[in-house]
Amino acid sequence: MTDASAALSEETGSTRFRKDGRWAALLSRAGLSIAILAVIAYGSAVSPVFFTTGNLVNVMTSMAIIGIVVVGMTFVLVVGGLADLSVPATIACGAILSLALQPMIGPVPAFVAAIGLAGLCGLVSGVLVGYVGINPIIATLGIGTIVLGIVQASVGGVIVYGTNPETAMLVKSRLFGIPTIVLIFLAVALAGNFLLARSWWGRWTFATGGNPKAAEAAAVPVRAVKAGAFVITGLCSGLSGALLGLTLQSARPLVGTGYEFSAITAVVVGGVSIMGGAGSVPRAVAGLVFVQLLTNVMVLQGVRTPVQGLVLGLLIAGAVALDVALRRRGGA
Amino acid sequence: MNLGATIVRFRVAVILGLTLLCASLLVPGFLGATTLSLGLDRGATVGLIAIGMTVLLIARQIDLSVGSTFALAGIVAVMLQPSLGIWPAAMAGLIAGAAAGAINGLLVVTFKVNPLVATLATMLIFRSAAHWLTDSQPVPGTDIMLSVSLSKIHLGIFTLRSALFIGAVLLLHVWLTRTVAGRNLFAVGSNAEAAKASGISPGRTVFLGFIFAGLFAGLAGVLQSLTTNTGSPVFGSELLVAVIAAVVVGGTRIEGGRGSALGTLGGVLTIASLTTAMEFQSVPAYVQQVVAGCILILLVVLDRTVRPGPRSHAATGGTH
Repeated sequence: MTDASAALSEETGSTRFRKDGRWAALLSRAGLSIAILAVIAYGSAVSPVFFTTGNLVNVMTSMAIIGIVVVGMTFVLVVGGLADLSVPATIACGAILSLALQPMIGPVPAFVAAIGLAGLCGLVSGVLVGYVGINPIIATLGIGTIVLGIVQASVGGVIVYGTNPETAMLVKSRLFGIPTIVLIFLAVALAGNFLLARSWWGRWTFATGGNPKAAEAAAVPVRAVKAGAFVITGLCSGLSGALLGLTLQSARPLVGTGYEFSAITAVVVGGVSIMGGAGSVPRAVAGLVFVQLLTNVMVLQGVRTPVQGLVLGLLIAGAVALDVALRRRGGA
Repeated sequence: MNLGATIVRFRVAVILGLTLLCASLLVPGFLGATTLSLGLDRGATVGLIAIGMTVLLIARQIDLSVGSTFALAGIVAVMLQPSLGIWPAAMAGLIAGAAAGAINGLLVVTFKVNPLVATLATMLIFRSAAHWLTDSQPVPGTDIMLSVSLSKIHLGIFTLRSALFIGAVLLLHVWLTRTVAGRNLFAVGSNAEAAKASGISPGRTVFLGFIFAGLFAGLAGVLQSLTTNTGSPVFGSELLVAVIAAVVVGGTRIEGGRGSALGTLGGVLTIASLTTAMEFQSVPAYVQQVVAGCILILLVVLDRTVRPGPRSHAATGGTH
């Protein structure tokens, strides 16, 4: 499936095997920074509220929850795993269990258990994708459906409420004026960037995504690396869900709906190729920042929700089409 | 071919048979004509969309936007009723579906956007357009009696919708197995380069495939809107999983180049009878999800493990 569009054209078919044209890569990277600056400039110009501490803190808080998922999703795209569509289920797993288990085992163990179980779901998807060789879309769609069903069944299909106000206060507290959630997101992003860009695991991830056969020949444990990307995403969305649950102090089964597409949007707009083998956490986060700021400006300007969706959809299609066009020209 | 391989080959029929057997034992009156026709009518919505999806998956593409196209076409068909009349408006709905498919095709073929990303984007775009057109409110149709006549059961078991679905599946079967265009589709799906070298235009085939899928999603949406006499922007948002599950359970490979219309028919009927049986037994919706997900995963795992083949990286299509 990944090669489907590439196979349609000889020109694009070979892009992943050669280095991107330098100026094209430069332009697409600088392009995103310019776009972010443009949105900030426009926002500050048209809305008096936009460039205030209060608004920016709000943007960062809502960004943090998706951002943690974005870090995991970057690994999935880079390793050539297309996308993890089980994210809504693992977020619900994190949110529901971190609240539902509180009365039984205490808030901290509940938090850890929720993330651990979400990671376990990621492991199941990962084994199906990496070892059994099932298409990631099918595997994560199926596992997501199952996990969501089990989580709902375990709490009887109702909304779960928090019982421990102290943890809610802790999550909502601020350090030097920055919400704790944002700090957790920054820590996750830094750790993700270190893992992907500086460690052997990251090199294996790029090798597997770029050319699985060559990677296997070079003794990279491709199957484990592929499975690992889904475990990372499971853990990330479990963490994201647990934080979301603690912030809201309530969790519905459908709490994570749409997060998978928001995360994919950010990663793809950031220029991470869905073909695998290229991308970085900072770029994905830059994509997220752009999308979030743009959404914020639209909300402040009173743009209606459907139009916002329309703009985001056009943005995804446009970003990827531009990326393809730039690569083709840059490589020629 | 030994017995095991035969069972694996016709697993859709085996699973469908087992499902029907269990259902008829557990649910009293399950095999009655009314229950069956209701189940079939419900399955037909998924089935009509699954027909388009089968074609796309064989050509090694995917369309995530079918649920949004479904809603959009239905809304167009209902909103234009006062100005155009019922049947021209229904035609306009179908055209809207085909146009949505053409947009997908344009993105994938002309702009070379990965089909997953392209249809993800259009899923958002079409859904937003549906909300925009309707102000996020359900739109009522003009003729309330039409929905009653459309839901009428003919020949004891078929509604208009299920008859259309069965007819279309049989036509698709003939098209895929007996015509040049059908063979070309498989050729493009298994190896686009080789197909191109043999004088088939993969771009054209894929483009037409997307229009076909959009048209059938639109048809399902128009029928849904006419039978409920409502166009709603939230219609079809949960259909995607069921459609992909039905097609994949029917043995069509998401990696392209393999699939059959009769398999899809079996997959749709299996999912429909499962859903109907579980609803009759008042199984909670979330348990139904678990069952459907387990069946999907089990079948796909079976598909990968039983038949030998290149499997180390086939999951991402990286072997090409």
